[in-house]
Amino acid sequence: MSDTPQTRQASEVDEPAETAPTTTTTTRTTTTGESDERVREEWRDHEFAGPAKLSVEDLNVHYGDDHALKDVSIDIPERSVTALIGPSGCGKSTFLRCLNRMNDRVSSARIEGSVTLDDEEIYQEGVNLVELRKRVGMVFQSPNPFPKSIRDNISYGPRKHGDLETGLLARLLGRADEDEREELVERCLRDAALWDEVNDRLDDNALGLSGGQQQRLCIARCLSVDPEVILMDEPASALDPIATAKIEDLIDELSEEYTVVIVTHNMQQAARISDQTAVFLTGGELVEYDATGKIFENPESQRVEEYISGKFG
Amino acid sequence: MAGATRTELVRQDTSGTDAVAAVAVAISALLFGLSIVALADLVSITGSVAGVPTVSLLGAMLVLLGGAVMAFGVGSRLEAVSTTPDTTAGLVAGVAAGGLWFAVGSGIGNVLVGGLGAAVVGLLVGAVAFAATVIPREDIGSTVPIGALPVLTGLVFLTGTLGPEWVFDLGWEQGASLTAEFVIPVATLFSAMIAGWAAAKAYGGFGARGRHLGAYTLVYLNALSIVAFLFVLVAFTVVKGVPGLLTGAQFGPGAGPSTTLGLFGLELSVRLPFSVPFVMNGVALLNDYQGVLPAIVGTVWLVVGAVLFAVPLGVGAAVFLTEYAERGRFTQAVEVATNGLWSTPSIVFGLFGFAFLVPRFGNGKSLLSGMITLGFMLLPLVLITSREAMLSVPDEYRDASAALGVNKWQTVRSVVLPAALPGVVTGVILGVGRIAGETAPILLTMAGGTFIPGSQTVDVIGGFEFTASPPFVANPELLQATSALPYQLFALITAGVGLGENVANPDEFRWATALVLLMVVLSFYAIGIAARYYFRRKLRYE
Repeated sequence: MSDTPQTRQASEVDEPAETAPTTTTTTRTTTTGESDERVREEWRDHEFAGPAKLSVEDLNVHYGDDHALKDVSIDIPERSVTALIGPSGCGKSTFLRCLNRMNDRVSSARIEGSVTLDDEEIYQEGVNLVELRKRVGMVFQSPNPFPKSIRDNISYGPRKHGDLETGLLARLLGRADEDEREELVERCLRDAALWDEVNDRLDDNALGLSGGQQQRLCIARCLSVDPEVILMDEPASALDPIATAKIEDLIDELSEEYTVVIVTHNMQQAARISDQTAVFLTGGELVEYDATGKIFENPESQRVEEYISGKFG
Repeated sequence: MAGATRTELVRQDTSGTDAVAAVAVAISALLFGLSIVALADLVSITGSVAGVPTVSLLGAMLVLLGGAVMAFGVGSRLEAVSTTPDTTAGLVAGVAAGGLWFAVGSGIGNVLVGGLGAAVVGLLVGAVAFAATVIPREDIGSTVPIGALPVLTGLVFLTGTLGPEWVFDLGWEQGASLTAEFVIPVATLFSAMIAGWAAAKAYGGFGARGRHLGAYTLVYLNALSIVAFLFVLVAFTVVKGVPGLLTGAQFGPGAGPSTTLGLFGLELSVRLPFSVPFVMNGVALLNDYQGVLPAIVGTVWLVVGAVLFAVPLGVGAAVFLTEYAERGRFTQAVEVATNGLWSTPSIVFGLFGFAFLVPRFGNGKSLLSGMITLGFMLLPLVLITSREAMLSVPDEYRDASAALGVNKWQTVRSVVLPAALPGVVTGVILGVGRIAGETAPILLTMAGGTFIPGSQTVDVIGGFEFTASPPFVANPELLQATSALPYQLFALITAGVGLGENVANPDEFRWATALVLLMVVLSFYAIGIAARYYFRRKLRYE
């Protein structure tokens, strides 16, 4: 368990606030009334079958003087659902946005460390951000379809990447990919379990859909550029239980083909849909990462247990 | 006496007494409208409405209004009407009533004693009104001193003390005087407003609900008076301008001049079913009726040219500032410069055009210089409003686009600009409204003269010529001195030399020019509003 290449020296995780006595055994600390504890290597080295799709090593993020993420190292397996849970402000969304370099858009952010996608470093000179974000798609907390028709929302990405020719010039030259576009729209909407609800009004403005439909449309839009990884930042937090259930079923289906990383505040949701769960706690540290069942039934860390059982956070 | 003496969850049936207050509110609204119309000269003060002299009508209505308000207040105090008044009408109402009665009292004092005595009488009356408002319970305090004002005003009108022929010399060295034509509508307006407030309070049964209704009435009247000002302005111009506009106008099939439509070599002659010489002719010796067509066309081209110059530049700069530039010294400097440019007086723009552009474009006043000068004037507003519109586009759209791997410029072009378009159009509408009527800059850069023959109508499209040497294209029309409506109006008013020889009725001609200018500007507005509506509908789902 501890002999993976990600094993690091314990001295690297020095915490200034650390005062509690630490144990060297793999069982969790049993100090009572004291929630501080040393974050142990083993708790974060979840082993899984097959290669890692995304591998993060020593990731540190600063927003100005604010140290938002501290030495996060984690491997995310292919074709599975990885849930990131933790209290507000613990850096899980920041972490998610590092995986497709969306944090580059925040001018005050400083990012150190390494993230590899299929063993290719994404934080290096000459990375093609367009290509990266095509491969690592993202769905946001609140549904954000463009104020365009449903069809245009889906075909927007491929059109901008030049994969679809639908412009006036292409139509004049007879090179318009009308059929390809219709196929793409139908495939993405079917994959996002939205086709049956909207197939008769593809030209309507997407803002006329309900919140749950809008969010599934955003997922469909994300699928339109053929991603390998889908990052989801609390995709169901603004939705009612029925719409949430639909999104959860959808995530389950998507995980057969895509690698899904999802941030959620809803622990039941994480327990229901994810294969493995990473727990971030206040201060931007990754405390524990393991199979979801293990995290929710028998976490190693006392703080994680307290957080999950609702005593803290 | 306790404050809010009674509070009831359900108001009892008071329809009879409420009707008195409701009628009072209605009368005050009617009077408000009438006095505005009278101010605009649409209803003559010396004339009569429906057989009744206007002054008597206004007087009778004012007495009725004041009487109703006072009766309601007294009835409420005598517990005949179910209301929930406070202990006092409040200091603000007291000061307002005191101030109004001071004005009335000093007016009366001036007639009775004159000189310093007038002020003493005014102060005395004002003080009494203040005390009468503040000391008694709210139902008396906010009705009796206020209601007495329209009653007094109405009586003055009815008895003819202040008749249509009344003039009050202010005794200033300019010889200024107040005439009945002005004083009567204004006095009616103020009396109606303040009595309307009291009536609304009474209708709400005083107390919290009454205060709410009173305040609502006042702010509603404020909003109404903005519309009223626009209405007065437009109505005034229309009434004065229509006779000149329709001089010699004919309607019906075959009335108009024939126009030739050329299409694919096929020429079709059409006779328009109307003929309005004022907007179809220039000024020429042999014309039956003179017109301002060259100035209309000049104005339209001027605005089109300025928009073509300013919109791409302004929107481009706004895109750079919102999407690309880091917020810092530079963007702040640009902001300050833009705001400064917006508040620069138009005559300064005109001087700049005169000194900088005119020598560089053919060394004479020209349409092109005018276009560019007005374009400079339009630029800051387009920039400011486009920037606001782009800043209000939600960042979620940009994030969503970036997460799809779409680069910044494509995001701006396909997502941000379409979403910001209604705001940009609003800015252009506002700017066009300002520049279309601008006189000073075109006076210095493109003015063409007071009486322009129809043959000098500028023809920008037809003016393009191809030449053998670079730049291969020429347009002499752009470099000609051209007239525009605001300048022509200015010239007709200040230096209408020869107006009598050319035009049968100079006054009508001037007003008609003003009306046409107003119509041209309003039609630019209409185009802009239609465009904004179209783009908004495209963005929304309904």
